[in-house]
Amino acid sequence: MTAQVDKTNLALDDELTLSVQVTGVSGNIVMPQLPSLPAFNVYSREVEQSSINGNTTILFRYVMLPRFVGNATIGPVRFNYDGQVYETQPISVRIYRATPPAAIPNNAGQVQQQADPSLPPLERALSNTAYTHAGQPFFMVAAVSNKTPYVNQSFTLAVRFYYSRAFHDAPYQKPTVSNLFLEDLGSHEGSQTIGGTLYRYQEQRYQLTAAAAGKATIGPATVRYHTGSAALSAFDRIFGGATAGPEKTAMSNPITINVRALPQEGKPASFYGAVGQGYSITAKVDPQNVQAGEAINVSITVKGPGNLKATQNLNFPHLDGFKIYPAAATAGTSTTSNGDLQSHKTFKAVLVAAASGIYTFPSIPWAYFDPQTSSYKVLQTTPVQLTVTPATKAEGGFNFAQGNTVGNGVETLATDIAYLKTSPARVENFLTHCSRWAVVNWVMGLLVVISLLFAGLGRKSLDKKKAFLTAKNQLKKPTSPQAVSDAMSLYLQQRLRVSTASLPLKEIGVQLHRKGVTPATVASFTSLWQRLEAERFAPAHAAGAAAADYASQAQQILKHIEEEIK
Amino acid sequence: MKRLLLTLLLALCTSVAAAQNGWTQAEELYRQGKFSAALSEYENLLKTYPNNPFVYYNIGNCYFKMGSRGLAVANYYRAFRLNPRQNDIRHNLALALENSGEKLVPTGVPEVLHRMFFGLSTTELQGLTYLLFWLVCIGILVGLWRRKWSRLATLICVLAALSTAWWLIRAQGEKELLAVVAAPVAEVRSGPGTNFPASANIAQGHLVTILDGKDTWYEVAISSQGLKGWIEKDAVEKI
Repeated sequence: MTAQVDKTNLALDDELTLSVQVTGVSGNIVMPQLPSLPAFNVYSREVEQSSINGNTTILFRYVMLPRFVGNATIGPVRFNYDGQVYETQPISVRIYRATPPAAIPNNAGQVQQQADPSLPPLERALSNTAYTHAGQPFFMVAAVSNKTPYVNQSFTLAVRFYYSRAFHDAPYQKPTVSNLFLEDLGSHEGSQTIGGTLYRYQEQRYQLTAAAAGKATIGPATVRYHTGSAALSAFDRIFGGATAGPEKTAMSNPITINVRALPQEGKPASFYGAVGQGYSITAKVDPQNVQAGEAINVSITVKGPGNLKATQNLNFPHLDGFKIYPAAATAGTSTTSNGDLQSHKTFKAVLVAAASGIYTFPSIPWAYFDPQTSSYKVLQTTPVQLTVTPATKAEGGFNFAQGNTVGNGVETLATDIAYLKTSPARVENFLTHCSRWAVVNWVMGLLVVISLLFAGLGRKSLDKKKAFLTAKNQLKKPTSPQAVSDAMSLYLQQRLRVSTASLPLKEIGVQLHRKGVTPATVASFTSLWQRLEAERFAPAHAAGAAAADYASQAQQILKHIEEEIK
Repeated sequence: MKRLLLTLLLALCTSVAAAQNGWTQAEELYRQGKFSAALSEYENLLKTYPNNPFVYYNIGNCYFKMGSRGLAVANYYRAFRLNPRQNDIRHNLALALENSGEKLVPTGVPEVLHRMFFGLSTTELQGLTYLLFWLVCIGILVGLWRRKWSRLATLICVLAALSTAWWLIRAQGEKELLAVVAAPVAEVRSGPGTNFPASANIAQGHLVTILDGKDTWYEVAISSQGLKGWIEKDAVEKI
């Protein structure tokens, strides 16, 4: 059961609506008992009943007129149900004078009403702006509770549509804002005397929060209405047409806000962006006695004015012996009985104890900026003692994995990290030593390159030497003149790159001469070669004796060639 | 001279004893559940034993017990790079990665093959490649001398080529600037600033590859998720 009023500050000529809501009841319901209300005359009662999923809600609405100027208290409303008495909280209301104490002339020399200076700033601003429209049957005004808020500080915007004549079909369009977050606070109705005329008004309130320092603007709100004052045309009279007059638009005044930046000096580490007054913090740790490996739910709730949704999430401190799993924060808003926006934000985390022992969940700081004193203030939660007993399910560690049975008779209970190493690792081995000897790569590479170079040069010289030695060996024991001619031919081919097969003898002689062989040696060679050719095609001597003779001459010639071409 | 030697020996003994005392003290704190105090001790030991895989392993254990999965993964990875054969290091890294939704062995790769590929550390592979190169050089010299090329020399050449390829692939992999998300949640934005919209949230412990850096932001690629974006430098820990 709750009770709330549509406004807590009102003028004597205004009206107040008290709403009493009862939920979760069924059967025959009796009216709530209103307390003694000496400061008001109750002139209207309404009852509204609604039922959703079998849950009935009844709303009793009382419209009251104030009787005296001053502070008035609406005592607890009592409600009897099922033999039990329920009560609401008392509500305080301030009633101001209806007629302004003084009227001052404006620039045009006209006398203009001024609102009671003791009215709260927002109501005073709304009333004073309304007085400037005296005489107009329809108009709209807007005012804010604070024109120089800090970043993230909540303030209220009220928009009123005043009317002194009947109207219908009036769609409302809310104001557009820049650099501001806007949240609906609800609407209510009232009345006010302006320039001797009684106006009724419909008021819409918003909670505003500035996102960044600098200029912020609130555009005009509009209401399009039909007055219904136009006369019916002949056509309408015959066919029963509507009596709606031309559509008109009422527009509120735009407002510019100067948003102040929060001071950097003295900003605590635990400041998460909340600005305002009257914050409170509570910590709930449940359960406080657990076994190692079991979860503990921690929730820290911050309550206060304005909108806490925009504030940053709280950082949970590290707690030795626990693993912390922070969960997403939840935030919500509600409107108090006097129409202000209250919000709450809950930060949750799950703690898992690693080992048994007595622990203390520490005091958690949470700071906010107080715009009244222009300073940061820090709230602290109360430390909570936690008792962790040894685990009976698993031998320490955390249950990261779901236990499952493996094999025959062995059950995996938990998977945890392997234990510490109690001494440093041996990091050096033969290969790691090798990795440091990069210089050896260069030495070895260089050695290979040099060897390849020398091997290349030496091979040429060896090949040449080899040709002479081979010929010499073949000429030691020749079997025929043919063998002698073959040995000489191979020598010339390998040593001097002169082919005896493809060249005529004269040309061979020229080639030898070019290689540095003397004409005498060339002549000896030519003579021997001719005789060998003759022996080959027309043998005149016994093969063995002739071959030895030719071989001896050939050896002499090759020796000369070898000496001459060096 | 004798006095100098004696002083040096004494200083060495004192330093070794102090380091051993540090290991014992850190372990004692860890056993009592005072993980942050144990962590400080191991971080001190890192000065005495830089690049020792077991120090990084123990630091990883402390972070893991403290609930900092990201920093645990970073330190296990450092230990794994220094000694990939060590079973406990491999086990803890795999477990920490698994808790973050990552995998040590990529999907489709047999565990045996992964273990073989990480059978040696990069430094050991470097040493092995050097050693085989030297053997190849010796083989060439002997071949030149003997004018004969043996089968053994051919085998050594093939091994040297394989080892070089293995080492280069591993070294290239380690050249990539790998980092791990250390903050509870890191926002991936489309540009290096909070004025760019966040495209994804990554929980701690996920591996990211650093592509570029600008002021207090890293451009990263999250291959496991196929994402690319910018993350605040404070939110990640380079491995």
